[in-house]
Amino acid sequence: MNLRRIAYAAAAGVVIAALAAFPLVASGYHLALGISLLYFTVLATAWALFSGPTHYISLATAAFFGIGAYTTAVLTELLPWPLVPVAAAAVGVMVALVVGLSTLRLSGIYFVIFSFGLAELIRQLVTWYEVNIHGSVGRYIFADTTSEGIYWRLLALAVMVLCAGWLIRHSRLGLAVRVIGQDETVARHCGIDTTRAKLALFAVSAAFMTVTGAVMAPRWTYIDPAIAFNPMLSFEVVIMALFGGAGTLFGPLLGAVPLVLLFEMLIATFPNYFSVVLGAVFIVIIYALPNGVMGLLRTKLPPLRRAALQIGMSSLAENATRVVWPRAVERAAAIDGPVLQFDQVRKAFGGLLAVDSVCFELRRGEILGLIGPNGSGKTTVLNMISGALRADGGEISLDGSSIAVLPAHRIAQRGVARTFQLVQVLPVSSCLENVMAGLVFHAPLLWGVAADVRARSLLSRVGIADKVDAPAGQLTYIDQKRLELARALALSPNLLLLDEWLAGLNPSELQVAIALVKMLRQEGLTIVIVEHVMDAIRSLCDRCVVMNAGRKIAEGPPSAVLTDHEVIRAYLGDADA
Amino acid sequence: MTLALDIVLSGLVLGGMYALIALGLTLQYGIARIMNLSYGEFLVAAAFAALYLYSGMAVNPIVGLIVVVPASFAANWLLYQIVLMPLVKRAENQGMLEVDSILGTFGILFVIQGVMLLTFGGTLQSYSYLSVPVHILGTTLALNRILALLFALVIGGALYLLLSRTRYGTALRAIAVNSDAARLSGINIRSASALAFAAGGAIVGAGGVLISMFLTFSAAMGVVFTMKALIVVIMGGVGNLLGALIAGLLLGISETAVARLVDPGLTIAVTYALFLSVLLWRPTGLFGRSAR
Repeated sequence: MNLRRIAYAAAAGVVIAALAAFPLVASGYHLALGISLLYFTVLATAWALFSGPTHYISLATAAFFGIGAYTTAVLTELLPWPLVPVAAAAVGVMVALVVGLSTLRLSGIYFVIFSFGLAELIRQLVTWYEVNIHGSVGRYIFADTTSEGIYWRLLALAVMVLCAGWLIRHSRLGLAVRVIGQDETVARHCGIDTTRAKLALFAVSAAFMTVTGAVMAPRWTYIDPAIAFNPMLSFEVVIMALFGGAGTLFGPLLGAVPLVLLFEMLIATFPNYFSVVLGAVFIVIIYALPNGVMGLLRTKLPPLRRAALQIGMSSLAENATRVVWPRAVERAAAIDGPVLQFDQVRKAFGGLLAVDSVCFELRRGEILGLIGPNGSGKTTVLNMISGALRADGGEISLDGSSIAVLPAHRIAQRGVARTFQLVQVLPVSSCLENVMAGLVFHAPLLWGVAADVRARSLLSRVGIADKVDAPAGQLTYIDQKRLELARALALSPNLLLLDEWLAGLNPSELQVAIALVKMLRQEGLTIVIVEHVMDAIRSLCDRCVVMNAGRKIAEGPPSAVLTDHEVIRAYLGDADA
Repeated sequence: MTLALDIVLSGLVLGGMYALIALGLTLQYGIARIMNLSYGEFLVAAAFAALYLYSGMAVNPIVGLIVVVPASFAANWLLYQIVLMPLVKRAENQGMLEVDSILGTFGILFVIQGVMLLTFGGTLQSYSYLSVPVHILGTTLALNRILALLFALVIGGALYLLLSRTRYGTALRAIAVNSDAARLSGINIRSASALAFAAGGAIVGAGGVLISMFLTFSAAMGVVFTMKALIVVIMGGVGNLLGALIAGLLLGISETAVARLVDPGLTIAVTYALFLSVLLWRPTGLFGRSAR
């Protein structure tokens, strides 16, 4: 393994050295081509840093590039050169933070539209400023830079952006955005601050784009807003990244090289047909290569780790070793009161009062069954506890402190873990990565080998140790439920919320699953289950809260509430009560 | 006072056009689920067709509608059936179709724009039809603008009636709300979607003809109209016709006001400022359903 790394590093060193020596032998034309190749490589890779994992299609490349170019134009005579790109990066990051903070909470399409117009917006503002305040539309750039200098700077930038991409992929931030890209709700319930993660990556990507603009600006000697903020640039970068494969580190590079050469050829031979051919290339790419060149390579190459995958059920490890849930044990020792207090909580969807002044308490170490007919508000109650929904009124407190207005990721970090009624796994990620997502975004921070070992032990705890590397989307329904539980347990919870986790199991699986939940309680977890399987409720629950039409109608031990007249009426109607 | 009235009237005409083209985009995006970035290219193509009919064959634009609207309907129907259908079939979910259709129509945008640039060149075009001043409430407005607004109202009203009062319109609205449930109720989603997409195309064709009567246009301007239609649709709340109408008028009036009072170069800045503030205030648009 180490030897292979050294070999890779050596090969990369040789390639970089060869590329660095290129201007010494190249003609002017080839040097210009080299510059084009490098700057599109940097832009496409930077674009994919953010848009690849998050699937937010950003058309703001031209905006950041233009900002960089203008920073050089304005500052080049005021600052020594090395400070200019630094200043450009700072401006780019600032703009990215402002824009990102206001638009990244917009979902897919809204973001595309806004980024589509951002370049135009900035271009109009700059033009207005230049004409009315600066006094002329264009600016001359007198920097004593040669083409070779620009080439080398771009090469350095390309190496930096690829290194940054590699580091991010192998970092917590990289994992966070991969999770966000697949399921943002799951991400929040794993304790990921989704806004911050997206914003951070957007800013990094923008910084590289801005610096590219700053480095490229001296090429033109004269710039005006129409040159600097050319919207075509955003489109070209998107095509290149997608052509190569935006989900991979080297994909954008593989896309940029052939397309830059193609565009170069088109402009030289059919300048008038450029737009038509560009469009046609785009359409062909979308149809023929939905996952880009890298995707094509992957499907053609033999799968490396697929062999281990077995389709089918594996049994729960019944003799699994007992674990201790540190957070649950600590809190049990330190805090005397109930784990959770739900006090006069209300939630309405438009005119429908889904939860109406519900109160209950959750004692430490108990299993509480939350039951009631469909539509009675059970899942809404869970959603308010986990922070997926915010209550309209009332108070929810966890271990004595209020969590009613906390966002979901903060509640997850405080030790509330959940599964979802409709099972939600990260379909593209491996089972290991699914569990990792729950494991690494809360205190005490875990990463690397320690996290890997812990994730594997959790997978074997729920009985799917043999599917570590399988993509979660390929598991059977039951295995996906187990995986979801492993991810919830990875949060090292104090309180576990199971939303119809037992639904759909066959009788023998049900027995195993019930045993597992019982064992979790013995190990110190407090558990809320929402369930329709009455056998499970009878054998698991210490107490039940029964809801109907948003109100609590009964509370007590299962045997008592299940014979209560009002409960029977709620489930079966007046005739049977 | 006259200036204010002038701004409001001109803004209403422009806003009415925005609302009309947003209506067509609502059909394409809300029902056919295609995020069509080449939408504005069809508007510009229709404008060129009107120009050609008027200056080449002396057919006035209102009569021209009879030719251009069905042609645009047919072109969009074919586009959906031939080019977009493979993407619809391939998509596993709404999100995938959205991304694929954005990228696919992006390519179409360049192809159409390139063809128009080759055919008509990149210069600004216009023609003069019924540019007689009409005096209203102490200010003047060209007759062609009034006519355009009237036609926009008629077309928009007719569409509203079709959607709300007919059996087929009900089916289309059902698809917009929940396409899976609509399929289970016996509605043929594919053919209805193709029809909705084509109807959206017909409307943008009509919009192109009407706009060409009083605005200058060029082969490269399609993107601007796509943007504005999208902004109006999103600001009004996706799928909400009344919202689109109000957002369109709001945009038209504020653009006109800024162009007259501040600087004509800042209209897009205004558009975006308005767009952003509405979205920050109400993330699902002025009249959007709140997300659960």
